[in-house]
Amino acid sequence: MMRLDVDPALLLETEEQRQLRAVLRDVLTAACGPERVREQAASPRGFDRVLWDRLGGEIGVHGLAVPEEYGGAGYTFAELAVALEETGRVLCPAPLLPTVVLAGEALLASGDRRACERWLPGIASGARTATVAGVLHPARVAAERGPGGWLLRGEADFVPDGAGAELLLVAARAPDGTRLFACVPDAATCRRTARRVLDPTRRQAHLRFTGAAAEPVGEPGQVPATAAAVLDAGRAALAAEHVGGSAHALDATLDHVSHRTQFGRAIGSFQAIKHRLADLLVAIEGARSAASYASACLALRRSELPVAASAAAVACTHAYRLATTEYVQLHGGIGFTWEHPAHLYVRRARGDEALFGTGDDQALRLAGLLGLAGRGG
Amino acid sequence: MSGIPEPAEFRAEARDWLTGVAKERTAHRHWGRGDDSVAVFENWTEPEERAHTDLTRQWERTRYDQGWGALGWPSEYGGRELPSYYEQLYRAEEAAFEVPRRTEVFPVTQQLVAPAIRIWGTDEQKRRWLPPMLRTDELACQLFSETEAGSDLAGVRTRAVREGDGWVVRGHKVWTSGARVATWGVAVCRTAPDAPRHAGITVLLVRMDAPGVTVRPIRQMTGGASFNEVYLDDVFVPDTDRLGPVGEGWRVTLTVLAAERLDSGGLGLDNAERALDLARHLPRPLTDGEQQQAAGLYVRGLVQRLTGLRVTAALAAGREPGAEASVGKLCATATMRATTDLVQQLLGPRLAADTGEWGTFAWTEHLLGAPGYRIAGGSDEIQRNILAERVLGLPKEPKGERS
Repeated sequence: MMRLDVDPALLLETEEQRQLRAVLRDVLTAACGPERVREQAASPRGFDRVLWDRLGGEIGVHGLAVPEEYGGAGYTFAELAVALEETGRVLCPAPLLPTVVLAGEALLASGDRRACERWLPGIASGARTATVAGVLHPARVAAERGPGGWLLRGEADFVPDGAGAELLLVAARAPDGTRLFACVPDAATCRRTARRVLDPTRRQAHLRFTGAAAEPVGEPGQVPATAAAVLDAGRAALAAEHVGGSAHALDATLDHVSHRTQFGRAIGSFQAIKHRLADLLVAIEGARSAASYASACLALRRSELPVAASAAAVACTHAYRLATTEYVQLHGGIGFTWEHPAHLYVRRARGDEALFGTGDDQALRLAGLLGLAGRGG
Repeated sequence: MSGIPEPAEFRAEARDWLTGVAKERTAHRHWGRGDDSVAVFENWTEPEERAHTDLTRQWERTRYDQGWGALGWPSEYGGRELPSYYEQLYRAEEAAFEVPRRTEVFPVTQQLVAPAIRIWGTDEQKRRWLPPMLRTDELACQLFSETEAGSDLAGVRTRAVREGDGWVVRGHKVWTSGARVATWGVAVCRTAPDAPRHAGITVLLVRMDAPGVTVRPIRQMTGGASFNEVYLDDVFVPDTDRLGPVGEGWRVTLTVLAAERLDSGGLGLDNAERALDLARHLPRPLTDGEQQQAAGLYVRGLVQRLTGLRVTAALAAGREPGAEASVGKLCATATMRATTDLVQQLLGPRLAADTGEWGTFAWTEHLLGAPGYRIAGGSDEIQRNILAERVLGLPKEPKGERS
């Protein structure tokens, strides 16, 4: 069971991925530094559309994992994961996760060619933001066939980027079973209320549908499989982001403890500090291994994906928690100030655990997948 | 280059060869039958240790003689000059066959001592030592630690004094595994007592059957004896058995220690897997907390394995591995501890009192053995210092006044 049938080369960064990382690191350092992140998150739409267009157009991040037939670049999730690691590193508030990963995967997993042709090119180019509703958290949305087509009624909460997304993929109860629907929301039939959020760089909203027009995506009865695919893609994506965020926390903390002097020495020369950072490095390298494996499994559409994605979620959630905790603590008082970016990372780490489940939730799911449950239950 | 098969081709060849010389492991261990030992350190009597060593040596000789040992070594030492990770590819295949489990003296000889000889030895020494060590005709143990020189190994007090065409060695070494079966002991000796600590050290290879060498087993906390103390009472060592220059022994020692640190990535995985089997087969449903704990152990094992693969991948691609190469031992000791914690939780009273049931009280061997690995081969604390100072680049701790 623990024998891994994986080509070690898949865990290694390719030259192309290395170049993509370098380009993104430069662009994001310039356009998405700590001050800019705050400005962007506080802006009306919550992110910088110019940067978004640049990522989607010039660099082509959005289309990386989208097949060419739907306007994408036809690379794999492994390349997208590199981009997510970099955006996660700076807490870029752009809604890549809901648009490209959640909505993108929902469309691909639905197998509905017409819907993919209709919506994926806009996602791949960056022309359209999108998200999913009723997939990550239970929702009460019903779909009924009206004279002019399908209409959605009901509520969905905790929808990532729900107030701003230009396309919603909604799991709704229809007379013939739960189905996925594509809905371009308008204010008259979809009331969208932004929630106050722990993590300002990742918005959430409550949605109330009052007869919103929608088109079915895929067939009835498909939703559980589609939702499972969306969640696994989300876990793998978040794992990559968490590796990036954790690596930033480690780098920033290393820089601080190397320069901060107390008792006449750099505090980084004290073993009490060193050993904690060594432990953090171990956790981050483990998270990196688990995230790469999950990305490789998703890129190759391997059957191990559910296990790999859950394991990555456990490892990366743990690492990010530890990294952000140490980020604040080892910075001392300055790390507890509003002005210091450390709390933004704490907010991201903890806010993300509410998206697809806490580390403990993921571990329980993993135990189920692996049959680690004893007998006679 | 000619003669370097593609990895897939190499693995297939290895499989073919193994099929001819060894028995394939039965598809899956049968739960509840067979050997339920999960000992971290063997608890052998001397005859048992000798018998098992002979068996393993036989297998290593078969490998070597048929071109499947010494894979990464030049042909003059009986090797095939394959890239270093081919050894790992080979081992992945070998794991599916019933072959004797290599006790520590084998990797110490082949993976730690032989490479150090290759770097530091004279041509004559390489010719004399490398083929028999790679073929395991000769086995080498480490005469490193002393009672006053553990983590601070440069504090060794064993003296080597120049006499004629050799050295007279006097001292006391501890925690040597394989000392009863080894033919050579790699001894870290002080040759210049007045020189700064790291400068006065020289490495000598001591014949373990030389007059004045006495080996006594150390009984460890498991109740058995897997290590030894070695008394060196005026042992004569010819100067031709000195490894590396006089006074440069600290660098020679570091070569061996670095190899040791990188060689520990697979530790603890077998027992972790067994503990997960226990979680599957326990005759009651696991609580949610127990399931989470078991999944946590699975993730540790997976991550440890994947991190090892990343090192392999980097080497295979001709790149220098990064931090991933240095975290293996800390991952391994944490996996071992998590294994203990899980079986403690799952077995309850059957871990504390022997009911005679298969696969229950046997776990006490793991519980009592695992702490040893957090101390041996560079303690967890030393590993953290190494990560902090060499990988993360943090400033060194100010040393004590003696330096």
